[in-house]
Amino acid sequence: MKIENTKAQMRKGVLEYCILSVLKDDDAYVAEILETLKDAKLLVVEGTIYPLLTRLKNAGLLNYRWEESTSGPPRKYYGLTETGQLFLNELNTTWNELQNAVNIVTSQKNNKNE
Amino acid sequence: MNKTVNINLAGLFFHIDEDAYLKLQRYLEAIKRSFTDSQGRSEIIADIEARIAELFNERIQNNKQVIRIKEVDEIISIMGQPEDYLVDDEIFEDEPQPSYKSKLKASKKLFRDTDNSYIGGVSSGLGHYFGIDAIWIRLAWIILILGAGTGILLYILLWILVPEAKTTAEKLMMTGDPVNISNIEKKIKDGFENVSETVTDVAKNVSDSVGTAAKNVSDSVSKATKNVDFKKQGNSIKSSSKTFFDAIGDIFMFFFKIFAKFIGIFLIIIGASTLIALIVAMISVGVGGIIPGLDLVDIVNAGNTPVWLVSLLVFFAIGIPFFFIFYLGLKILVNNLKSIGSIAKFTLLGVWLISIIGLIIVGIRQASEHAYDESVIDKKELAITAQDTLKIKMLGNDLFRKKIGHSSSFKLAHNIDGQKTIYSSDITVIVKSTSDSLASLSIEKSADGRSYEKARERAQNINYNYELKNGTLFLDSYFTTDPKNKFNDQEMVLVLYLPEGTVVNCHDNTKTFFPYRNYYGTIITYKDTNHYLKVKEDSVECLDCPVEEPRKELKIDVDVKGEDSSLKINNKGVEVKVDSAKLKINNTGIKAKNEDVKVNIDSDGIEIKSDS
Repeated sequence: MKIENTKAQMRKGVLEYCILSVLKDDDAYVAEILETLKDAKLLVVEGTIYPLLTRLKNAGLLNYRWEESTSGPPRKYYGLTETGQLFLNELNTTWNELQNAVNIVTSQKNNKNE
Repeated sequence: MNKTVNINLAGLFFHIDEDAYLKLQRYLEAIKRSFTDSQGRSEIIADIEARIAELFNERIQNNKQVIRIKEVDEIISIMGQPEDYLVDDEIFEDEPQPSYKSKLKASKKLFRDTDNSYIGGVSSGLGHYFGIDAIWIRLAWIILILGAGTGILLYILLWILVPEAKTTAEKLMMTGDPVNISNIEKKIKDGFENVSETVTDVAKNVSDSVGTAAKNVSDSVSKATKNVDFKKQGNSIKSSSKTFFDAIGDIFMFFFKIFAKFIGIFLIIIGASTLIALIVAMISVGVGGIIPGLDLVDIVNAGNTPVWLVSLLVFFAIGIPFFFIFYLGLKILVNNLKSIGSIAKFTLLGVWLISIIGLIIVGIRQASEHAYDESVIDKKELAITAQDTLKIKMLGNDLFRKKIGHSSSFKLAHNIDGQKTIYSSDITVIVKSTSDSLASLSIEKSADGRSYEKARERAQNINYNYELKNGTLFLDSYFTTDPKNKFNDQEMVLVLYLPEGTVVNCHDNTKTFFPYRNYYGTIITYKDTNHYLKVKEDSVECLDCPVEEPRKELKIDVDVKGEDSSLKINNKGVEVKVDSAKLKINNTGIKAKNEDVKVNIDSDGIEIKSDS
């Protein structure tokens, strides 16, 4: 078992949740989403995001509209759908529970070690 | 100095160095390979291209600037290596995808495995394709070769038509492993070739295989099902891409593929069996003499067209269409079949047309052999006078046919000298009366031919014998001719002219040689054999036929007219009434009466009463 694989899997699992969170309030086009995620060091390379966006869109969680750009090709602006909103809410709860659970488990271990 | 290429990336125009272009192309192809159609490959690629175009755009100050390999490398480091695009499906799937495995299998392609080959790698390739050990396929070959020798042909066909797995990607496709970067890497680490070559070859292979008809059909079907997918999935709450409609699409595709494969197998069987049969036939004709009936074919072949030519023409005329059927079947069954090329296709078409034309010419030649029907007549006198009694008997020949009888077919046999000869019993015997003092026999030989001379020559070459001995005329029941004359409707008519008054007796075995009725003006028909017949002018008189006595016929004329007349005949008796006259006959006796007389005959005697 490679540590890289586990790391990547952990990151990718959270990634969907994070993309939905970025789009929570405002529509954004890919470069903007990427910027946010890269700033947060959640994403190293940009390629990963495209299959994820397509998957979320196909699942009906996201939709998009085209907007002309002054410098470059037309841009896809992504936004949450109603189901996406519900999905995100549920993920929020799950994430909080998970964070809590992980905290408990890891801190217990720390306590024991001490 | 570097050559540049113009590209259109997401609707934007770029100048790009050739080496940079190739790198970018390989990169995009590798990414494409990481996705399947069901993941929305084309859409993902379009998005990525758009992003790359955007990134390029940021790096270009003016329109004249060219994108170099440096920029491409930068972009790749930003976008990530192809394996970074891979999304581990298991993390995201709500449920395991049952079709995952079958999809992998569907991408398995038939290649020749030259790494593990004995001859051309066909067997191990088939082994990979069907997922069984190559040893079983090899055993099957051996059985096929020992069985009919047809395995060799099939092997050679597959050898020519199935491409060799040259690149790593092809080798992976051959074994059914999904072609993705990690697998290719694994193979390379195992000691194959380098990535870039492989990836270009994959690209080439993709464009090649797209051309195949079967692939096109399945692609369009999968596209159609996908369109349904997108619309319906908009409403789906499930995060999984697997929906009900997707499943229906999969089922439909599955059955469609199975159906197509069945048709493919069916076509292959038809094509292959016909080809095999044709080749076996060709070989037997070529070796000649193996088939006992073959020299018979040569004998009817009056046009003297070489048999090998005809069989070759037939072989091509039938074989080529069936080869295409076989090829079509293979194409349906195997996605990445090598094209036989348009030159080969047109050559085959040309050969086929030539063969058809050739066969037509041969047919016309053969038909023209019957254009002329000529006969040769030879009249001989026989020492038979009006006072003689002549017996006629047919003679058979044990060498040819034991049974004596008329037959319009021909046979091939060896004569006393051991030479092959054609014999036939197509002989008709006719008897006519003549006023001459001596009998005569007219022998008429006839045959067909391409020309008057040919037909005449053929007729003259008919050998026929007869003998008059002790008042008996022995006629051969057959005639013979040399096989080089061919059989072309040779037949004989024997006309026997007998003086009026001659008595003739035809043996029972002549029966079938006489006409059924008095055709050709014969005075003896098949019914008259085995009797002593006296020849009269245009007729015969039977001397020993049982004389038929004139039959005594019971005639009853019943003529009933008028109201007062009646006739009654029933099991009680007869009752006749005419006006006042009456006659009654029954078991009691006879009663008759009219106005004046009454007669009664019964057990009491005869009573006659008169009124007057």
